[in-house]
Amino acid sequence: MCFHLFWEQVSTSFFPHVFGRPYIVYGSGFVLLTVWDKMNCKEPKPFSFASASSTFTRSVSNVVVKFTVDGLRRIMDYKHNIRNMSVIAHVDHGKSTLTDSLVAAAGIIAQEVAGDVRMTDTRADEAERGITIKSTGISLYYEMSDESLKSYKGERQGNEYLINLIDSPGHVDFSSEVTAALRITDGALVVVDCVEGVCVQTETVLRQALGERIRPVLTVNKMDRCFLELQVDGEEAYQTFQRVIENANVIMATYEDPLLGDVQVYPEKGTVAFSAGLHGWAFTLTNFAKMYASKFGVDESKMMERLWGENFFDPATKKWTTKSTGSATCKRGFVQFCYEPIKQIINTCMNDQKDKLWPMLQKLGVTMKAEEKDLMGKALMKRVMQTWLPASSALLEMMIFHLPSPATAQKYRVENLYEGPLDDQYANAIRNCDPEGPLMLYVSKMIPASDKGRFFAFGRVFAGKVQTGLKVRIMGPNYVPGEKKDLYVKSVQRTVIWMGKKQETVEDVPCGNTVAMVGLDQFITKNATLTNEKETDAHPIRAMKFSVSPVVRVAVQCKVASDLPKLVEGLKRLAKSDPMVVCTIEESGEHIIAGAGELHLEICLKDLVDDFMGGAEIIKSDPVVSFRETVLEKSCRIVMSKSPNKHNRLYMEARPMEEGLAEAIDDGRIGPRDDPKVRAKILSEEFGWDKDLAKKIWCFGPETTGPNMVVDMCKGVQYLNEIKDSVVAGFQWASKEGALAEENMRGICFEVCDVVLHADAIHRGGGQVIPTARRVIYASQLTAKPRLLEPVYLVEIQAPEQALGGIYSVLNQKRGHVFEEMQRPGTPLYNIKAYLPVIESFGFSGTLRAATSGQAFPQCVFDHWDMMSSDPLESGSQAANLVTEIRKRKGLKEQMTPLSEFEDKL
Amino acid sequence: MELESNYEISRTASFIRSRNFTRVALQFPDELLKDSTRVVSALRDKLCSSEDNASDKDVGLYVMADTTYGSCCVDEVGASHINADCVIHYGHTCLSPTSTLPALFVFGKAPICVSNCSKNLSNYALTSGKPVVVLLGLEYAYAIQDIKEAFTIESSKPHGSTSKLELYCADVIRSVMDPSENVKTSSGHLGLDGSLATDQGSSNTICTLHSIGGLSWSLPEGRRIEDCLLCWVGADNAAFANVVLTFNGCEIVRYDAAENRLVTDVSHQRRILKRRYYLVEKAKDANIIGILVGTLGVAGYLHMINQMKGLITRAGKKVYTLVMGKPNPAKLANFPECDVFVYVSCAQTALLDSKEFLSPVITPFEAMIAFSRGSQWTGAYVMEFQNLMTSFPMELRDQLEEARFSFLQGGYVEDFELEETSEENEDGTLALVKATEKALQVSDKDPKSIIKGTAKSGAEYLASRSYHGLDIQSNSSLPEPFLIGRTGKASGYEDEKSKQQSLS
Repeated sequence: MCFHLFWEQVSTSFFPHVFGRPYIVYGSGFVLLTVWDKMNCKEPKPFSFASASSTFTRSVSNVVVKFTVDGLRRIMDYKHNIRNMSVIAHVDHGKSTLTDSLVAAAGIIAQEVAGDVRMTDTRADEAERGITIKSTGISLYYEMSDESLKSYKGERQGNEYLINLIDSPGHVDFSSEVTAALRITDGALVVVDCVEGVCVQTETVLRQALGERIRPVLTVNKMDRCFLELQVDGEEAYQTFQRVIENANVIMATYEDPLLGDVQVYPEKGTVAFSAGLHGWAFTLTNFAKMYASKFGVDESKMMERLWGENFFDPATKKWTTKSTGSATCKRGFVQFCYEPIKQIINTCMNDQKDKLWPMLQKLGVTMKAEEKDLMGKALMKRVMQTWLPASSALLEMMIFHLPSPATAQKYRVENLYEGPLDDQYANAIRNCDPEGPLMLYVSKMIPASDKGRFFAFGRVFAGKVQTGLKVRIMGPNYVPGEKKDLYVKSVQRTVIWMGKKQETVEDVPCGNTVAMVGLDQFITKNATLTNEKETDAHPIRAMKFSVSPVVRVAVQCKVASDLPKLVEGLKRLAKSDPMVVCTIEESGEHIIAGAGELHLEICLKDLVDDFMGGAEIIKSDPVVSFRETVLEKSCRIVMSKSPNKHNRLYMEARPMEEGLAEAIDDGRIGPRDDPKVRAKILSEEFGWDKDLAKKIWCFGPETTGPNMVVDMCKGVQYLNEIKDSVVAGFQWASKEGALAEENMRGICFEVCDVVLHADAIHRGGGQVIPTARRVIYASQLTAKPRLLEPVYLVEIQAPEQALGGIYSVLNQKRGHVFEEMQRPGTPLYNIKAYLPVIESFGFSGTLRAATSGQAFPQCVFDHWDMMSSDPLESGSQAANLVTEIRKRKGLKEQMTPLSEFEDKL
Repeated sequence: MELESNYEISRTASFIRSRNFTRVALQFPDELLKDSTRVVSALRDKLCSSEDNASDKDVGLYVMADTTYGSCCVDEVGASHINADCVIHYGHTCLSPTSTLPALFVFGKAPICVSNCSKNLSNYALTSGKPVVVLLGLEYAYAIQDIKEAFTIESSKPHGSTSKLELYCADVIRSVMDPSENVKTSSGHLGLDGSLATDQGSSNTICTLHSIGGLSWSLPEGRRIEDCLLCWVGADNAAFANVVLTFNGCEIVRYDAAENRLVTDVSHQRRILKRRYYLVEKAKDANIIGILVGTLGVAGYLHMINQMKGLITRAGKKVYTLVMGKPNPAKLANFPECDVFVYVSCAQTALLDSKEFLSPVITPFEAMIAFSRGSQWTGAYVMEFQNLMTSFPMELRDQLEEARFSFLQGGYVEDFELEETSEENEDGTLALVKATEKALQVSDKDPKSIIKGTAKSGAEYLASRSYHGLDIQSNSSLPEPFLIGRTGKASGYEDEKSKQQSLS
């Protein structure tokens, strides 16, 4: 859904809280708002628009002049005045609610309901579950006054700003949405719950943002809890905030990057805001500094510094000190000048002490409208706070001041983005954000369009312009420069932005902006790089790296066999609609949907059935998990297999890889394309390999990059290099389908000990060696104490003390174990980290909720592969049962092929 | 006189006699080879005893064994080596039409307990209430009538006449095959005359004729085969798999005559269909395809191969034709560059699915689905390629412009078809430049990065191998020292005996 409203000339009476305040004065601005939902561009739900319209038609008389497409298009050219930013946070820290209050400022939602509507949660299931599932974008138009921009040092073109804001989901299962959002933005607003602090998902997304060179600003959210729920005093609250900021900075400090500069956030520099999304107010220290600077007659920046950190003020002596003097009236600057006044106002409102309130507000320069003065209690408080410290101005100002424009950000992001040489014309065009340069556009996700089955390709223009009718080269994720693989040349049918309830076609979209394109969806699955048709030497923009992986799988089939084409079409669409979901087919012919977690799968299946299948019914299997096969020890003997003609013999041994080596291969630190010298160095220094041996790695597998390898240990074997390719082919095959249950192998090193070959080349061809290599690999696997590896989640749970018992018992029952339990300083909450086998995680959150009466909410993210201790070769053991189950599911013989089938005797 | 009846000596003799064949090839499958000498002598005796009417003709009998291709098909090439006039085929057969020689099929007679069989079947049929079609393995063909009668009696027994089961029983089309007949069959498989309809009492209604693997039966108009219960009498063999795949919409039960029991669970056969579906999806991703010629006898095989070649080339993929007799893993692994093989053979040997094969082997029908754009797997399945040639519209390709979605890779994959053609047409000089460029790129690549499915032609694959034939990187130019070679057998050379002991 997408609707998009554009207001010109909003009168001051409509936005009394924006204008006419003593400390920030905005010119008569107009606010643009675009809401598009990435998920489904159906008709918008009438809620917000209808309810909001009644509010503003009452107060707005002469305004609502529809802003034109041309108007919006005009600002898109001011590359210094654009801010692309995403809102990221842990689940339930209030991203969507906060985004709401920004939207509310634009008059789309009534101020009274802001915080309750969750404007960006446009799907019915999002509203129902109270979580965001798809990232959703909003464009805000903002005009700053000259005065407020006085201190802005960066480049700018006029006072108009276009802020493209993307609200992203906080649940780990939907991290891929965050990744897709981060790619097309330059800055991030990190939202942290002031009570819960920095959580696992905050950390994950923050790291991801920094990895993409996204500059963060922080907002300490849910301030209202401090005042209303917890009623903490100033100093205590300060300590809590300080800790939150510090925790965030600890993560950010690890990303020291000369180009990006210091990415840590400091309240005294204005890069930290304090907000209460639910009530729609927020402030940065700038707000207060401006207010007090004149009063104290000091510089604004100086005042800012005094409002944070070890600066104390005693109103009795009117002196600033850097230590508490111990006097009762001596308080920290922040407490004295920010926290206390807010607390006072809130308390006064809550107690309906209106006689006290009005003079206070007058002092602050806040004027309330007549009808608002009748409000009582919480509603009054909300209204007063919104008028005094509107969230929109504080946050938008922070974004405009401290987040980079595309022109700034692309200077340093080009290194992360572009795969090709950094001095070619494409890299330069990205670096300079050059609208006249060659087109470089990254499609980060596909958005379902209103006509069933079609998708908008949504992405960001990094260089050049994309226009309707332009012929573009589409470079898919598997494109290799110079080859024709995964490459298409197609025309963009339309370039689209959203205006009002409908999409508006614009002639072109210049670099630095986001755009949706029609007509490319039949060539792009999830993402792609677009460039001009003739730019054949352009390299693609680097693929996104996801922090989660699709480990949970479910098999689907249609209820009616003849619906198969519908299912195929539906899966195709599903694969497009979500950046993470993988739709594949298993050897047995079953269609598999793989997702990051149970919730993710659930949502995917729901979309499949409701939107993509055209009404055909499906049957789904229970969730299944893929396993890996590994070995525990070195093979008990050197095993030998003979070729079908008995003339060739391969001798091999299997051994487990050194700890950490498989992970190093996963991360790409060691791989087939390494410089042999570098590889030898890493292997010998970190894993204790012999330097010469490191040069004798034949290959990695499966798929040539997997975490298993073949090492040549033979000495003086004739024709060995001739059969190498055949052995490699056999290994690729075998490592993909291990001997136990035809699952991928992991962490096994196969050593070729000796080879006997027939003297005639014809008798040692691929036909003889490939099947033999496969057999001997299986034999060596089976003699080396084969084991299954199961995927394990890292679970983080936050819960009050009384829920701990329940958490422990559920974890125990699910084979999980807790490895860290920590009380959050200053809160009654405990933070528990545990490992939980993925296979046991199905239904885990439900059970946990039940056992803790809804107080514990887990976040699971795939962490590692864990070896199952039981022996799969010993019948009746847990691993053996698992193997049988997998084999049954795959339609294999239930009995494993015995070693004697693979090993031969002389 | 078991041999006599089992091998139908007298019928064979009269067949030879009546047509005046002088050179007769007797084709035995491996498992019946042990009886071949006795059959030959019995047959010769028979022929001699009836010699009197055509005195001076000597009939030459030749035993053919170890056929190059599937033993179910008539080995016409083998027979033509001895200039045979006809082939007598023994044992299990697919009854695929021959192209040059007349053939007589001797199915053999496997023991079956008719009463038990019909009792089992009718019990099951009565509970399901569906019309029943009885199909049987050819080795039980001799018992067709008995089974039919017993079944009718059996099924009407408990229920009286209130609900009479509809019963259709398949018949063997023919046990003598003339190549002339095939022209008709290959042009339209429904062209057989209606007199073959075996259903009693329905001769005046219009019938739909079904035939598979040498069996045929007809159903009255309006009765769909999907509504019937198929009963297969016989072993769980290729013929049965053929039936299960072709009629995958039907409920199928199998009566195992050897164990005298009814098998209602045929799920593992059903699973084959899903597996075939997977193989089709996998074939779609293939760049290099090998056509395996699995028959030189079945009528229309050449046409099929040519059709396959055309299809694959049009899909922008590379095709190689390989003739190798019965394929086995070792043979096929000699062509690791092929991503998939299309096995052109008779319907009952075409299903080769073993995990041992490095690359999947698919049937021509599956290739049709995989390589023609716009065709979809709908569940319909055709095994016999005679049917395929006529029933499969070649120009099914609609012009839907969409990249192909690969379920193996979970995303859109390229489609060379559109681009490749334009490349071919480029003028010579440019083409040469391109070729050189390509060659350079290939050698640039890490030689270790051979992965199936990346090369687009055999040459490209070979170029990406790490071993190119000659080891020119030898670092010493000095002649190698003289070495004494090994002695002994390949299964263990003499110098290895001791080594093996020390290793283990």
